[in-house]
Amino acid sequence: MGQRRRSAVKAPSSPSVSAAGEVARVPHKKHKICMVSDFFYPNMGGVESHIYQLSQCLIEKGHKVVIATHAYGRRKGVRYLTNGLKVYYLPLQVMYNQSTSTTVFHSLPLLRCVFVREGITVVHAHSSFSAMAHDALFHAKTMGLNTVFTDHSLFGFADVSSVLTNKLLTVSLCDTNHIVCVSYTSKENTVLRAALNPEIVSVIPNAVDPTDFTPDPSQRQDDTITIVVISRLVYRKGTDLLGGIIPELCLKHPDLHFLIGGEGPKRIVLEEVREKYQLHDRVRLLGALEHKDVRGVLVQGHIFLNTSLTEAFCMAIVEGASCGLQVVSTRVGGIPEVLPDDLITLCEPTVRSLCAGLETVIAKQRSGSVPSPASIHAKVRNLYTWRNVAERTEKVYDRVAGEEVLPLDRRLQRLRTHCGPVAGSIFALFAVMDFLFVLLLQWLVPDRFMDMAVDATGPQGLWRQEKSRKDSAIN
Amino acid sequence: MGPDGAPGPSVPWQKVLWERQPFPDNYVDQRFLEELRRNEGIRQYRYWTVVKEAGFVGQQLSCVAIFISLWLYMEQGLLSPETLLWSSLVCALLGYGLYQSLSSQVESGCEPRTRLADLQSAAIFLSFTFGFSPVLKTLTESVSTDTVYAMSAIMLLAHLVSFPYTHPSPPGSLSLNAALFASVCLASRLPGALHTFAMLSCALMVFALWPCLLQRVRDIAPTHFTGVCLGVCVGGVGGLGLQSPGGAVLLALALGSVTLLCPLLLVRLQRHKDNIQGPWDEAEIHEDLDHGRGT
Repeated sequence: MGQRRRSAVKAPSSPSVSAAGEVARVPHKKHKICMVSDFFYPNMGGVESHIYQLSQCLIEKGHKVVIATHAYGRRKGVRYLTNGLKVYYLPLQVMYNQSTSTTVFHSLPLLRCVFVREGITVVHAHSSFSAMAHDALFHAKTMGLNTVFTDHSLFGFADVSSVLTNKLLTVSLCDTNHIVCVSYTSKENTVLRAALNPEIVSVIPNAVDPTDFTPDPSQRQDDTITIVVISRLVYRKGTDLLGGIIPELCLKHPDLHFLIGGEGPKRIVLEEVREKYQLHDRVRLLGALEHKDVRGVLVQGHIFLNTSLTEAFCMAIVEGASCGLQVVSTRVGGIPEVLPDDLITLCEPTVRSLCAGLETVIAKQRSGSVPSPASIHAKVRNLYTWRNVAERTEKVYDRVAGEEVLPLDRRLQRLRTHCGPVAGSIFALFAVMDFLFVLLLQWLVPDRFMDMAVDATGPQGLWRQEKSRKDSAIN
Repeated sequence: MGPDGAPGPSVPWQKVLWERQPFPDNYVDQRFLEELRRNEGIRQYRYWTVVKEAGFVGQQLSCVAIFISLWLYMEQGLLSPETLLWSSLVCALLGYGLYQSLSSQVESGCEPRTRLADLQSAAIFLSFTFGFSPVLKTLTESVSTDTVYAMSAIMLLAHLVSFPYTHPSPPGSLSLNAALFASVCLASRLPGALHTFAMLSCALMVFALWPCLLQRVRDIAPTHFTGVCLGVCVGGVGGLGLQSPGGAVLLALALGSVTLLCPLLLVRLQRHKDNIQGPWDEAEIHEDLDHGRGT
């Protein structure tokens, strides 16, 4: 598992940092945060690692963090990860693509249980694809909690499905206190989709653990040039473009190799190309990669290619650059904001433009005029760190914690004025029913009779005390 | 945070993430949403142009009406199969001549089909239809007449819905098959095998050949196209009117709404169009990626 290795890297550094922080800074208000999303380990992806890394850094800063997600197969109930990060795998029915179904109400009893037991003050939901995240925002408001939402993806406006999801997002974010987006493009997109005031939307980029992605030029074969592609092989990641690029470049450059990591329905496109042009020895399809294996693949290459058709932030290109590769990418979504021009070659999302971009980089690589991997890594390593993300997110929590939660009547009014007469009225009705449901639950199991969970993390976190006690015992 | 983080610093804000900028995270610059584009590539419709284009839909509706009236005449014995066959033949020859004369002006590059090939296909079609017409005649005998009528109605509707109005030549397979299915159903309710044969050849002409000719007229002589459409519509209403005046009124209303009212709505509602595009849109792959692959 990716987290196990990462935690091993981080563990030694954490006590020293927290100690330094306690001395240097006036102690902030500590928050009790519940991260809610359908997407968490053992599922793999950008959102999952974002939640995990952010939580770890927030714990390091002394906040209490718990994560709520749905059960994955037999993984149900409560689990503890590194540094006492508690994860609730709630038994909710998964409907499609690891997203739970939503009936708006059925997740309330379980989520209320988590929020009350853990004494949550801020609910932080992730990903607009996650029904559970939207449910949590809705219930948190009913229970009088402040909410933050992080949007990780971009949406269009043209087709029917986006019109519907955008309406739902409008309702869901209508009384969310603050929204976090991962790039400026993503912010513009979210503000338009959910008709938001742009001042309650913060831009906090994703981050990459630079210690996970270090260059190692000795792994490269220097008599060839290797282009690495690591992405899911789906339409949105531009696998069709890749299928057009491979034959074009392989015919021109006999020493060119492709190393492709990832799995998906479009794999067949690449296999066809490989078959047709007899490129079995030069185009290697590695299949799905675990996060811990990614670096091992990246360091074998000279050039990292990203062919995405839409991307809010794109951690992959940062990881590629962090491993010292020359990055070539399509100019879509938030990608132009991510890396400075000397670290990335941006192309239009066409086969011709990408080929031209790759040609110039290949020519540079041959003439030896590219900066060394170590110097690229040095430039990238401090651009995006999780500590920085956590610091900026903490500011969002500080701001949110001071805001008042709208009472029911004003919430209803806001829903109806903000979301249009039809959807607004429907969801106002839902809000009333949710409120009555909470009252019923509170009558059945009053808050004061509920067992309070033992804090593993946070100001009185037992996990750390235990550890320091052990440390002192050793000393 | 936010507006309270007054824009004191003199450095301009940049839309980049790699630089730590002296602005709060929720800072909103003047350049916010500057890449937003509204209604890009929108087509401004003009009423009469749309009406002319909608004429094709109207005439296809009338074609169906004409076919149904012909069937009604045949069923009531007002029209003998021989008359229909002879007039069909004359129409087909006239249409074929017109088609050829129009095609000689356009096609020069690609190899045109020879007359012999056309004759061959026509002969094959006709002989097979003639040979099978007794079979087709008795095909639906075990099915109740109501079912046959209901199926024909649904199939003709499917024909109208799935008809490829932008490129009617060749007619789409779904629409053509639906129309022929309906024709077989209706033709099998006629009194004799020759009736069936006449009805089916007529159906082939109306649903398969006529759209090809009309498409060519639209390409070469757009002014005449409007006249032809109008003529077909009048013919449809008139033909149906002799049999059922109520049906004719309904058809006329449908034609009016399709060709006059719907274009008016389209043009009027165009002002309310608010389509937004920006850098967040998913890029589209325009190139033909199959070059050399799979072919």
